[in-house]
Amino acid sequence: MLALIIRRLMTAIPTLLLIILASFFLMRLAPGGPFDGERPLDPETQAALQQTYGLDKPLWEQAWLYVSRLAQGDFGPSLVYRDFTVSELVAQGLPISLTLGGLAILLALVIGVTAGLCAAVQAGKMVDKSIMMLATVATALPTFVTGPALALFFGLWMGILPVSGTGNGLSWLVMPVVALALPVAGAIAKLTRAGLATVLQQDHIRTARARGLPETKILFKHGLRPALVPVASYLGPAAAGLLTGAVVVETVFGLPGLGRYFVQGALNRDYPLVLGVVTLYAGLIILFNLFADLIYGWLDPRMREG
Amino acid sequence: MVTRHFPLVIILVIVGLALLLPLFLPWTYDQIDWNAVRAPAFSSSHILGTDELGRDRLARLASGTQITLMVAMAAALVSLLVGIAWGATAGWVGGRVDEAMMRFVDGLYALPFMFIVILLMVVFGRSILLVFIGIGLVEWLTMARVVRGQVMSLKERPFILAAEAAGTPPLMIVIRHILPNIAGVALAYLMLTVPQVVMVESFLSFLGLGVQEPLTSLGILVKEGADDMDMAPLGLLLPGGLLVVILVCLTIEGERLRDHFS
Amino acid sequence: MSLYSLRNLSIDIAGKPLVENVSLDVEPGKCTAIIGASGSGKSLTCLTPFGLTPGVTSGEIILDGVNLTRADRYQMRQARSQHTGFVFQQPMTALTPHLSVGSQLQEAARQAGASRLSRHELAQMLARVGLSRTDERLDQFPHRLSGGERQRVMIAAAIAHQPKLLVADEPTSALDASLRAEIMDLLDELRAERNLGLLLVSHDLASVARHADQLVVMEKGRVVETGPAASLIAKPREDYTKRLIAAIPRLEEAAPTLPAVGDMLLTTRDVCIVFPRPGWRRGNIRAVSDVSIEVREGEALAIVGGSGSGKSTLGRAIAGIGAMTSGEIRWRNEILPGRRKRTREKYGHIQPVFQDPIASLNPQWKVIDIIAEPLRNLRPEFSKAERARKAKAVLQEVDLSEDMLGRSPTSLSGGQAQRIAIARAIIAKPELLVLDEATSALDALVGAEILRLLSRLQRENRLSLIFITHDIASARRVCHRIAVLEEGRIVETGAMEDVIASPQQEITQKLIAAS
Repeated sequence: MLALIIRRLMTAIPTLLLIILASFFLMRLAPGGPFDGERPLDPETQAALQQTYGLDKPLWEQAWLYVSRLAQGDFGPSLVYRDFTVSELVAQGLPISLTLGGLAILLALVIGVTAGLCAAVQAGKMVDKSIMMLATVATALPTFVTGPALALFFGLWMGILPVSGTGNGLSWLVMPVVALALPVAGAIAKLTRAGLATVLQQDHIRTARARGLPETKILFKHGLRPALVPVASYLGPAAAGLLTGAVVVETVFGLPGLGRYFVQGALNRDYPLVLGVVTLYAGLIILFNLFADLIYGWLDPRMREG
Repeated sequence: MVTRHFPLVIILVIVGLALLLPLFLPWTYDQIDWNAVRAPAFSSSHILGTDELGRDRLARLASGTQITLMVAMAAALVSLLVGIAWGATAGWVGGRVDEAMMRFVDGLYALPFMFIVILLMVVFGRSILLVFIGIGLVEWLTMARVVRGQVMSLKERPFILAAEAAGTPPLMIVIRHILPNIAGVALAYLMLTVPQVVMVESFLSFLGLGVQEPLTSLGILVKEGADDMDMAPLGLLLPGGLLVVILVCLTIEGERLRDHFS
Repeated sequence: MSLYSLRNLSIDIAGKPLVENVSLDVEPGKCTAIIGASGSGKSLTCLTPFGLTPGVTSGEIILDGVNLTRADRYQMRQARSQHTGFVFQQPMTALTPHLSVGSQLQEAARQAGASRLSRHELAQMLARVGLSRTDERLDQFPHRLSGGERQRVMIAAAIAHQPKLLVADEPTSALDASLRAEIMDLLDELRAERNLGLLLVSHDLASVARHADQLVVMEKGRVVETGPAASLIAKPREDYTKRLIAAIPRLEEAAPTLPAVGDMLLTTRDVCIVFPRPGWRRGNIRAVSDVSIEVREGEALAIVGGSGSGKSTLGRAIAGIGAMTSGEIRWRNEILPGRRKRTREKYGHIQPVFQDPIASLNPQWKVIDIIAEPLRNLRPEFSKAERARKAKAVLQEVDLSEDMLGRSPTSLSGGQAQRIAIARAIIAKPELLVLDEATSALDALVGAEILRLLSRLQRENRLSLIFITHDIASARRVCHRIAVLEEGRIVETGAMEDVIASPQQEITQKLIAAS
């Protein structure tokens, strides 16, 4: 088990480095720079700014500088929000994004697994068919449609939830979290239903039945864990999906999370900011995949030896 | 037939309308009617009204749907070709080559790929061609995994070994025995890739990184609608609803096809 | 009074009658065995009365004096948990993967309402079914155990609550041949020791004959014949039973007369086959080590071994469809190159036939294209019409009619598919067939017919055979000589009759005992 974690972490570091370098060089290939404002700056100021931020050095040297600073936890200064370092911006945005993403995946798991269980128990009946239909619709709901639509209904028309910002209490979280969670919940419901349908046909369920166990006990003790294996392997892609979804949701609901900084940064060529966000995202996803691996091992001991 | 494949019928109707409507409408998608800015639905010649610039909604919906579906199909084809080539090679060659190729796919799966695509869009400018190459390159991963799994299981099947013993050269084995047997599954996953791509394209367009004005796509329409939703909710609900209907129908048909073949 | 009785049991699934009017009894301490081919309804007969397979029953079911005929689901569950234990065919999948052996045993022991057992008691149960290192095993997950060990755990769990009846559905057929006798002996001992009634289901008359007291022979959902085991086998009344008994190869039967052998055809010298370990791990797996065999014209050689002995790997290397690491294969004293280096013409000398007949045929092709495939490559000079003519002729040789040509493999029975596979193998006139367990996936009667077909081809076409199997008795019907493989090495070889008469190695003795 421990060996598995260590092995995963060993592969995580080169992966992370690769992502950072790839993004670094990609951004620098782009025409245009961070100081192309509305009015062009005079050449001297431009040169001075370039020098301050080390942009006049050769590309590989800049890359090396960046990575070595990163290793010490320094993300560098933001080029557009000039009064802030990237670390400060990230420290502000990360808690918001993490809260959104964490709550969304919890909600999706609770709704998805419950719905999948209900459908599997009632397999072939009306309940099953309606749940699966709803799940299919839910998976096809893009956050950039549900987000604004929710805001329109509950914010503008009914006026019961705030349309933007992080004000009063926790009610600002409701719509963004729901918009993020719906497609993931739909996918999890489908996976749970399909997983249970497969597992309940397997031989070890018949063995359990032969022991005269009640059906509910068979379902929860013998059936559910292996049935959730596909759900666990979906968690990695789901996390990546949530982070992308968060970009939209933060934009739609005007929340100062990482996603908004990312889009703003990309559009304004704020290299250190974009790199910082990409690095953090990649790190989060790698961590999440590791977590999914651990769940895997619990669900099915055969995978512990992986 | 019609009731069983209701989703398919809806898709066909939507595609038909998107292709035919622009031929009959008095307005094009980018034409501004200065006399009818923010016209309500069913006013004069604008059946669904106009947007805040006075452009005909119906014409824009038809054109947006066209572009969205076109980009989706092109990108799905890219993903099909790359996925089959990668997956079939890994599965057929096997051993360490397979191991390395699939590790690569696993690695890419774990990446926040959407961000790389966004970076690509920012870096290389925003052309439709790039949009679907970019998307196709993201969406091939699942196809590669599926194809590789199929090839791996087929490769050890006795009828492949019998063909080898019958003197059939490797290339002919792949063409005559392997590919026909994975065609069904590949088709099903192609169907399932299309809604994925629609989603990605709309997402990029929504952020202003996809299809560019004056061309339009459903994602752009949703974005415009969302910006103006307090004044004109129809502008959001129409393209949003259409997009969801397309996604749901494609997903249902794709899943049915997949279940049929596996 | 009997422990368990079925009277006129009929089972319908979705309105289709699958079992009709079956009656049988199981006495305490005795074994009643149901024998039948696949699709005979034997498993349904033994599982449906307990609600373990879907289906509607009619007739009478009496267990330990209680009539279960109109039992609801709750009563069925009671019947299962109080008095009955079950052992199934697939030990690899019959245990829950995420629960330890100990906890599954505990669950089984407590099903009839007993209080929690101590670790020591659980360990003793495992010891009773012949497992060692029992304390360690209690904490292990099922995937750590081998197939034979898992089946022992299944048996321990099935008798943990002291049932009166044990239902065993093909308990040995998924196990390695050398283990089957041991498991059957264990069941016999337990039966005697606890006065346990045993209802055994098997497709294999030969293997249960000596363990059963009563036999029930089923065909197509009906009982063909029933009676005490010894007298039924000695004097079968019904035609089906007679054919079944005749079909099953037994070592007691008279040795067959085999065709004379000619010049040396194939020799292998020191063949080694080594695979790299899967993944990135270092090291190799030796599948076959230093194997030297020879086959003459018209001769049949049996290569016999348990699963994992390397027999199939060796067969594939000879047929040129599997890797070979070192050593050489000669054909009429000329070097035969290995996989992918072999020319088309040389592939034409040797053709393979596989175990799973349906999987041997491309599901997308028509039978005519399947049969003609070797001609297309090996005899490119033939026109399409000529190929079709040859295909028709070869179908007759394997006793199939011409209307097979247009059919798709998915519509064929196992026996028909295996004949098609043999037709494809012989169409280009090879001199040697490599038969990899070619009869073991088939029902007894069908398998015997395929053996008969092979023996005719051997005689009429002077075809040489390499007959790879775990079943010495079937090999004996066609083979002159035998080579026994264990862990990739030939441990014993010689003339068939000599080896059967005085086997030298333990593995050979086990394989003979299992036949």
